[in-house]
Amino acid sequence: MRTYGAAIGFFAVVGLAPLVVSDAFLLDSLVLILIWGSAAGAWNIAGGYAGQISLGHSAFFGLGAYAAALCGVRWNISPWYGLAIGAALASAAGMVIGFLSNRLRGPYFVIATIAVSQVLLLGASRWRGFTSGSEGIPVPFRPGFWTLGIADKRIWVWIVLALALLVYLAQVYLERSRRGFQLAAVREDEDAALSLGVAARRLKVAAIAVSAAFTAVCGALWAQYVGFVDPLYVFSIDLSIRFSLSAIIGGLGSALGPFLGAVLVTTVETWLRAQFGGLGSHLVGLYLILYGIALIVMVRYAPQGLMGWMRER
Amino acid sequence: MRVVNFAHGEFLMLGMYAAFWAFTLLHADPYLTLIVAVPLFLAVGWGSYALIMRPIVHTSHNVQVFTTVGLSIVLQNLALVLWTGDARFVRTGYYGEVISIGGAVLNVAQAVAFVLAVAATAALFVFMRWSYTGKLMRATAQDRAAAALMGINTDRIYALTWAVGIACVGAAGVLLAPIYAVYPTAGLQFVLIAYIAVVLGGLGNMVGALIAALIVAAVEVIGSYTIGTGWKEVLYLLLFIAILIVRPAGLFGQRGAEALGM
Repeated sequence: MRTYGAAIGFFAVVGLAPLVVSDAFLLDSLVLILIWGSAAGAWNIAGGYAGQISLGHSAFFGLGAYAAALCGVRWNISPWYGLAIGAALASAAGMVIGFLSNRLRGPYFVIATIAVSQVLLLGASRWRGFTSGSEGIPVPFRPGFWTLGIADKRIWVWIVLALALLVYLAQVYLERSRRGFQLAAVREDEDAALSLGVAARRLKVAAIAVSAAFTAVCGALWAQYVGFVDPLYVFSIDLSIRFSLSAIIGGLGSALGPFLGAVLVTTVETWLRAQFGGLGSHLVGLYLILYGIALIVMVRYAPQGLMGWMRER
Repeated sequence: MRVVNFAHGEFLMLGMYAAFWAFTLLHADPYLTLIVAVPLFLAVGWGSYALIMRPIVHTSHNVQVFTTVGLSIVLQNLALVLWTGDARFVRTGYYGEVISIGGAVLNVAQAVAFVLAVAATAALFVFMRWSYTGKLMRATAQDRAAAALMGINTDRIYALTWAVGIACVGAAGVLLAPIYAVYPTAGLQFVLIAYIAVVLGGLGNMVGALIAALIVAAVEVIGSYTIGTGWKEVLYLLLFIAILIVRPAGLFGQRGAEALGM
């Protein structure tokens, strides 16, 4: 019950913040925290609840980002359609990956997902005629809610908050429902779960598909918010690691964890970038060194993440 | 060891930087550096094992994956912070020289790298196959508990295996430095090919990996010849995904290994 209280508190604070805060920087941070938190939560559905650890989730993020951007640039239709198309494409891709790599476990599955995201990266950066290649696509700004050309950052906070709540509720569903319990059984011991008649493969595929769809929606909104899609960024392994890092720091398999992780990761990153970004930009790498160390230390000493650590106190 | 090291490419990158700095600061030829680099990377490997890998070799795959991913991020960005992101080159005196064998024209550095790599692979194969230590390593990989019961110090064997792996990849980095540009993320492009070759050949199968490496190279060359250099990577990544789906154990690996996560 206490975690629900914390979640209600967290989302209420975020939802009410735009009414009080008008500082563009803070609102911008809030939007990004919610987008990265939602992406981490989406990753958590596959990685935390279903145990399908992927380091290729940027593939789905990139599909969403490109779908939204290309709808605006190539066909001049609403990015909301792009968002839906991206989510559909990503969940189809997720289903194919989940279905085909069902027998792969551990590092094999991880490498397979990396390979998929790399194929999409290369495809997007080489197919010049359609995706504009590696120089990326600027997303046109057309004012209006239907075209997602919104200058007011407060509205953006509420839009991504809606997404964050959906991702959170999907995770709560996995914690409380029969399907969620079955999925946990598959994660802990697939053979035992199979012997009890749990449809392991179908559950895993469904979890990956849902996770992929949410990640694509994050990508579409991110593209519209930032206004530029760069294939080397949206399909990068770094981005996949970022999703998993937030989820692991916050707490694998806990609904609020990824959002807490995103708050921490994004804040520390912004602060360190501000501190060291100016003098010799190569010092920017410092925050990534910190992330790497955090990752090593967390999985070793607190594999349940911050949420698990707090629960034990 | 049954641990997939996602930081493998970063040790390769460190090897390339070792060659670069030895060349720039000490004017040491990369092949001279190699003599120092092998024991150096053995030590680096041993140290990284003791510091980071020892506590997690017996834990779940997911912990191992994220630990080595974390190590990879740290090393990559350490290189970025220390040596900036600029691409650097090792321009030896014989940089432009080529030798032609039959109809094929080879860069001297490429030819030397090829000969040394084949020699190293052969030496490693002999070591793993016939030396006592090599047998201990294979026994430990096959069944850790049984190996421990036979009086093998499995922890030391793990450390040694890890260190030998790092020494090999560090040496590979030194050999690649005169051919390719050196930068913090240089390891990634090579390590993807390495994973593909190893999985295609079957994990834990050295001859398989060697044959698979030749297959991957052939696919790469034929691909860039027929459909253009831009798409060759897509081709071998698709080949890799296809292998994982159709025969995850690789061409010469043991069937079912992938389901055990070995």
